[in-house]
Amino acid sequence: MIEVDKTQLKLSEATLSRWYRIERLEGPKEECRRLLDLGFTPDEQVAIVRSTPLGDPLVVVVRGTQLALRKREASWIVVQ
Amino acid sequence: MKTPVEAAGLADETARPLTVCLVGMPNSGKTTLMNALTGGHFHTANYPGVTVSLLQGKSSPKLGPPVNLVDLPGVHSSVNPSPEEELSCRVIESRDSAVEADVFALVLDATQLERHLKFAGFVARQKKPVVLILTMADLLPRTEQLLDAERLARALRIPIVTVDARQGKGIEGLVEEFRAAAGREWKPNALSDLGDDPVAAYSTVRKILDSSGALVRPVIRVEGDSLTARIDRVALHTHLGFPFFVAVLAALFASIFWMATPFMDAVDTGFALAGSLLTGLFPEAIFVRFVAEGLIGGVGAVAVFFPQIVILFFLMTLLEDSGYLARGATLVDRPLSYLGLHGRSFVPMLSGFACAIPAVLAARSIPTLRERLLTVWIIPLMSCSARLPVYALLLAALLPDAALAGLSLAVIYLASLLIGSLSAGLVGRFIMPGDDSSLLAMELPVYRVPRWKVILRMTWARSSSYLRKAGMPIVVIAIVLWLLSNFGLGSFQPQSAGTAPQPLIVQSEMNLSLAAQLGQFIEPLLEPMGVDWRVGVGLISAFAAREVFVSAMAIVFSVEGEDEDTQAAGLAEQMRTATFAGTGQRIFTASSMIGLIVFFFFSLQCISTVAVVQRETNSWRFAGLQLLFYTGVGYGAAVATVQGLRAFGVG
Repeated sequence: MIEVDKTQLKLSEATLSRWYRIERLEGPKEECRRLLDLGFTPDEQVAIVRSTPLGDPLVVVVRGTQLALRKREASWIVVQ
Repeated sequence: MKTPVEAAGLADETARPLTVCLVGMPNSGKTTLMNALTGGHFHTANYPGVTVSLLQGKSSPKLGPPVNLVDLPGVHSSVNPSPEEELSCRVIESRDSAVEADVFALVLDATQLERHLKFAGFVARQKKPVVLILTMADLLPRTEQLLDAERLARALRIPIVTVDARQGKGIEGLVEEFRAAAGREWKPNALSDLGDDPVAAYSTVRKILDSSGALVRPVIRVEGDSLTARIDRVALHTHLGFPFFVAVLAALFASIFWMATPFMDAVDTGFALAGSLLTGLFPEAIFVRFVAEGLIGGVGAVAVFFPQIVILFFLMTLLEDSGYLARGATLVDRPLSYLGLHGRSFVPMLSGFACAIPAVLAARSIPTLRERLLTVWIIPLMSCSARLPVYALLLAALLPDAALAGLSLAVIYLASLLIGSLSAGLVGRFIMPGDDSSLLAMELPVYRVPRWKVILRMTWARSSSYLRKAGMPIVVIAIVLWLLSNFGLGSFQPQSAGTAPQPLIVQSEMNLSLAAQLGQFIEPLLEPMGVDWRVGVGLISAFAAREVFVSAMAIVFSVEGEDEDTQAAGLAEQMRTATFAGTGQRIFTASSMIGLIVFFFFSLQCISTVAVVQRETNSWRFAGLQLLFYTGVGYGAAVATVQGLRAFGVG
């Protein structure tokens, strides 16, 4: 049986190499709209592929695409 | 009887040719397709009013009667768009008067269908003919996906053409397909029904893909593409990432600096030879001297930077095409974003150490206007290669010990990077405070083997665009400066007895020229810097290009020499003995030479850069302010240095 973790957290605080489900976006309106257009839509799977030497930005995968996201931007994405 | 398609095709040939706009998300393979369709014959066209360039060309005659092709910049989102995206959106929504599309060639990355089809909805609902073009299908196995293009076309109710532009496969019938699409009546389709809401659009796209059975996806894994994952494990590694980055940068910098040198020397020698051959034939005629020195010299001033620019654009395109550029930008984004810059600012900043002109052009790749302007603002502080001969001359005269001079040079280079960063931080925070909310969200494309043909065509398109854009102002300014140093006011010239009164402007020696008079005019300003009007002439001439300082100084201090090297040696000798007229006090003391170095460090003594900045920012205000600010700061810092050193007893 798969254990479902219902705790919500920001993508910027998520664990490396682990799938999360996007709950909602919480941040500046236009920037969040751009993130939606890029594919960060609710219910979509997202994971942090790797960190970078300075810890920021993060390399994130969504819908089969790798994107570099600043931690600030990742913190607008609420996942569980 | 003709079908409507044929009739439309015939009508098009008599009317204006069809305009096909290539649209898609970034990294969808538009440029490769553009290259394949035009047979490599495309050019960058500068779009009026904004600093965005488009690729334009005609389809190759081999593919049937030609159509006009326009490659529009890639679009991530139509919300809060960058200048490039804004332009594409305007063309897509038919809000643009300069580019009017008859057909959209919608280029889709087959490996990222969901995102690309979602974007396609935006284009499809404009009620204009659309042809879907699938690229990168050869990469599907690498991502373990299976795609049935025919099923997809049926589900979407839009024709789809699968191409492999790198191999030239699938492009034969494409131009015909554009014509056919132009003749068809627009009908609603699955994509045009997607709607504007991204959440709903994405879920519809997924439903279509799943229910039609067009796409079979693997069990999703965090690292989709294994090759990219392997390279990124090194390129973005906690400890190896930066050493790898520095190695790439060092290679890039060394190439710009050293690979270009033989070519630059050849161009220099070639133009000097052409000039001296011409003056040798008619040594007296002023017009010949004008052509030889002013005109040929002016063209030479443009041509001498060309090798550096070609090499820089080649290497940048190579890095971009292979996929590493985005990784480099990711690595340095944190420190640069702290300064108000963008991860991608590192390329222009680095290029600035070779030459500010290609660096300013390279700043185009920065997506947001504010970060781009800030990058352009600090580029002139980077210690460009034209400063090198000046520093070399002054340091040689100042420090007899070569090792010490070399060390000082290294300090100057490092200081220019630090002060540039500081300047960006201060200006970004206090003078251009914008919303900090520019989005990085940068796509990291999969690594690919470079496509040499496309890279070479792109390099040429970008380099020749520089020649067209910056060439003319630079030639004109070089000619003006030549006129200034070869003509003087008639009333100042020595007159032999009994001749008629001289006209207002006459040909004259350098020492009596307008430039010299200008030098004398500003002498009160030069005094606090500890130098006389002759150095002023050098400083004025250096606005053509900083290294001209050396040859201009050689002329005013009457040093003979074939080229800059021999001139510099004789000049260093002269400088040790040169004195102020009347007083016998030495001009080139430690304090005045350090002052000159400080002046060259800051001041924007390069009219070519000003011309290019004006073109790129489309703002005389920005370019003029930059010129005045840096030259003013340079002057102030030089005076402060000289006076400060003197106060501490340094002569």
